[in-house]
Formats: sequence, C-alpha cells, structure tokens
Amino acid sequence: MTKTEPQTPEIRPMENSKPSGQVRRRSRIGRIEGFTYQRWLDLTLILAMRALKVRYRGSILGIYWSLSNPLLMTLVYTAIFGTAFSSYYNNSIINYVLACFVGLTVLTYFSAATGQSLPSVVGNGSLLNKIKLPFSIFPCATIAANTFQFSVGTLPLLAVITAFNSHSVVNVVSLLAPTVALVLVACGVSFITSSLFVFFRDLPYIYDLIVFVIYMSSPTFYPAALIPVSVKPLIALNPIASIIECFRQIALSGQPPALHLLVLSLATGLSFFAIGVAIFAFLKTEFMDLL
Amino acid sequence: MTAVLLQSVSLWRRTQEELSYDLKRTILHVLERRYRRPPRRRVLHNISLQIERGEKVGIIGPNGSGKSTLLKLICGILTPTKGHVYVSGRIAPLIELGAGFDADITVADNIVYYGVMLGFSKKEMQGRIDPILDFAELAEYRNEPLKTLSSGMVTRLGFAIATEQRPEILILDEVLSVGDESFKIKCMQRIQDFWDHSSTIIVVSHDMTFIAAQCSRAVWLEHGEIVYAGPASQVTQLYLESVYGDQTTPLGNSHSLSSDAEVLGTSG
Repeated sequence: MTKTEPQTPEIRPMENSKPSGQVRRRSRIGRIEGFTYQRWLDLTLILAMRALKVRYRGSILGIYWSLSNPLLMTLVYTAIFGTAFSSYYNNSIINYVLACFVGLTVLTYFSAATGQSLPSVVGNGSLLNKIKLPFSIFPCATIAANTFQFSVGTLPLLAVITAFNSHSVVNVVSLLAPTVALVLVACGVSFITSSLFVFFRDLPYIYDLIVFVIYMSSPTFYPAALIPVSVKPLIALNPIASIIECFRQIALSGQPPALHLLVLSLATGLSFFAIGVAIFAFLKTEFMDLL
Repeated sequence: MTAVLLQSVSLWRRTQEELSYDLKRTILHVLERRYRRPPRRRVLHNISLQIERGEKVGIIGPNGSGKSTLLKLICGILTPTKGHVYVSGRIAPLIELGAGFDADITVADNIVYYGVMLGFSKKEMQGRIDPILDFAELAEYRNEPLKTLSSGMVTRLGFAIATEQRPEILILDEVLSVGDESFKIKCMQRIQDFWDHSSTIIVVSHDMTFIAAQCSRAVWLEHGEIVYAGPASQVTQLYLESVYGDQTTPLGNSHSLSSDAEVLGTSG
C-alpha cells in the first residue's frame, strides 16, 4: 500500500466551471489561492474582526491597553539604564525615554503579530477540514488585527512625538513608510512561521528564541554606539533594527526624513514579504495532510 | 447537466508519522544522515465518477476506504494529486458538524462568521440569524458565547447554518444520526425537502437500507478504489454479500450482477 513517489499535482478549476463537455478553466489572474480578491478580503476582515472582538470584548479602550506593555518596559529600562546611558542621548533622560519607547512599540507589534500568526493555520485546522478556504487568510487576519491596533493605539502617539520634535508635517506623514515596512516584515515572517508550524510542532520554542535574539539585537534600550564594530554587520541582518532606526530618525532627530533609511526599511519589508509569500506558496500544498 | 465530475482522480497523502512533526528531530536526523522523505500513502486511486444534477448518490465501503476523503475532494478541501475534479454549483458540506466554530464569541456572531466562511456575504448572514436560530431552537442563546452550548446544540447549529439556503449540492457524511429524536426528525424533513427539490446529494453512510431506499446510485469504495458503481440496490446487495460472505453469491461469482450494474466510472 505504501508507495513513495507522488505524482505532480494539477491545477483544478472549481466553482462555476461548466463540467459537461466544455470544461472552462478559470484564469488565475485576479485571484488569491483560487478565490476572488473580494471573497479573500471578506474572509480576512471577518477573521480580523473576530480576533479584535474576542480581545477587547466590546471596549474600544482595550486597544490602548496594548500600549501598557511598551510603556511599562520603558519605565523599567529608564529606571535601570536611564542615568547610565543618557550621555549617549545628549545628556537627556527624556531623549532616552523616547528612543526606548519608539523601539519597544515596534518590537511589541512585531512579536505580538508574528507570535499570534504562528499557530493560526494549525489552529484553524478543523475549519479547513470542513470548508474550502484560502490558507493565507489566517496569518493575514492576525496581521490585520494587530495592525489596526497599532494604527489606532501606537501610531497617533508616535505622530504626536514626531510633530513635537520636528514641527514638520513631512515627518509625520513619512511615519507611514516605516509602518508599511514593519507590516510587510511581520507579514513575511508570519507566512514563514505559520506554514512551518504545520510541519514542525516544536517551532514555538525555537521562535521564542529567535524573537529574543531580534529583541536583544535591536538597539532599543541601549544606544547603538555600544555595539562593537565587528558585530555591527550581523546586526544589519535584523530586519527590525533598520525599521526602528527609520522610525527614530523621523520621530526624534528633528531632521527631515532620511531617504536612505526609508528606502532601506521599505526594501527590507518587501524582501521579507516576498520570501514569506514564496515559502508559504511552496509549503501550502502539503498543509491538508498534516492538519 | 453534470454537477460533479471526477476524472481519474488519485490522491496521495503524507502519513502523519511523528518524525515530521518535530524540527529538532528532523535536524538531528539530517545531521545523522538518517533523514528520509516522509512516506506517502495512496488514499484514492483512479476514481472516475460523473454525477448528474439532481442525482442522489450513496458512497459505501468499510472504514478507511476513502469515503470521507472522496467527499473532501468534491468539496475542494483536498486537492487531487492526479486527475481533475470539476464541480458546478454551490456545495453545502455537512462534514464534521460542529467543528470550526469559535467558542469565545456569541452564537449570533458565530452564525455570521460561519456563513461568511461558507461563501455568503456578511449582510446576507445578518438577515439569516433569526431563521437559523429558530430552526436550531437556540433563540434564547443568541447573545451567549458558544461555549455555553452543549455539543448536541452546536451540531444543531452547524446543521442549521449549512442548510439554511437550499444548496445545489449537498454533501452528507453520516450526519443523519446526530441530535435528539425531535431534532433528528426536523433534520430529516429538511433533507427530504432537498431530496425532493432536485438538489444533488452525495451521502456517505453505513446504513445500507437507507442507501438502497433513498439513493438512485451507489459507489462502493475499498482501499481507495471503486469496486462497483451502479444502481443503489444492487451495489448495496453486493457489498453486504461480500461483508457477510454469503455462500450462495460470493463476490467472485457475481459477474452477472456486475455486468447488469450500470458502471459509473468513465475512464479518462
């Protein structure tokens, strides 16, 4: 019974194809995983809404609760390192607090969004075994819910900080660029982790470790100047570090947005997104066997 | 008009063995050069089947013969490794009723959410909450979280949502036996209504009397292959004879019957 060599899968038209005699193949253009954009979006949005509903139980203020984590951590870091490191921030504790807070909000978003996406495909295995659904809606819905929370909770606060420091609308508007880059990186990483989790159920432990490495290697609570020159190239591999740097440059430096940082973070975002999409598309054909 | 067409469909699936579930072990096995590609098992082999609109087809066979897998292929949940599946019309899959709900949100939200998953629009579903709750007799639970419902109630809800609108193709996987007696009658009435109104129905069941009485045709699966396909009464009879080892008509000598049976399988 057990044979090893599988055959190549073939593309299969579904839904409205007319089977009797004249079989019409559906174009794959304008569709995501065989679903129309509209249907894909409907599904993703209802999943995202459900996630937010469960999280906040009808209280819109709950969204601001998500700020408590970076705020509290900023407080702790400031209490411990604030005095020691303030010399790197023009001898200003306030500058340290702001730099720390901006970095932590980005990291909090990243670790929450990717951490919740990781089990999203496996967690909906029973649903996927009953109804034909596009797999990508599950990580995307988690990203959408977290991005909504970020846009409503964190982003206005960052905008205020930016406006206060730069007195420039250009800076406030250009906050959108690193935000988009951040969402793209989170999306790409979520595609990778949610698809790998189907095959490797011990992934959460390993991913926790990776998040810790990203956390420590992003200069959030310590000044980037402390990193030895020999280690710096390794830090450049951390996708979040460049995005944090971009956020800080726009929000805290008081200078006009630095184009090279904008381009770098957007390029990082796009490449992570592309890699994630490719890995997800490659692995998804085997999902159903293990769900 | 054909509703469902399967052209020499084969399906290979990965066996769910422990090795592939663990990254640590996979890496260690690769390092020790003990890694091998996860084995695949042939679940369905060369299935060809054409179901016309309005036909009622029963699928029979022993446990593990691939009956439910075949239904999942028709629903589009699984993709065939080889061959093609064509489906025309909206499918109501009544598979594992009650799975796939979210225990933490309210019953009403679950109805909308589940309906959108099934392919209805959100607006449409919001208008259907009340009729669905009425049918499932769960109106007083409308704003309660789903976890307050008993498993039988959840099954009722699943049935009510999936069958709220008459589907063009109804897929039944042994769901006729769920719920308490009074609800069972209600389910049967609704399914009978679909039965009478020219819906295409594909049903997996171990109840041969039911298949013989209610279906026009039956497909007998064994080890993922079609053994016989033809008029329901004949196929069920043959199947029962093979199971009980009836001495008068053992399977090997029943060529006369099999030639009578209209063979559904269309090659290619």
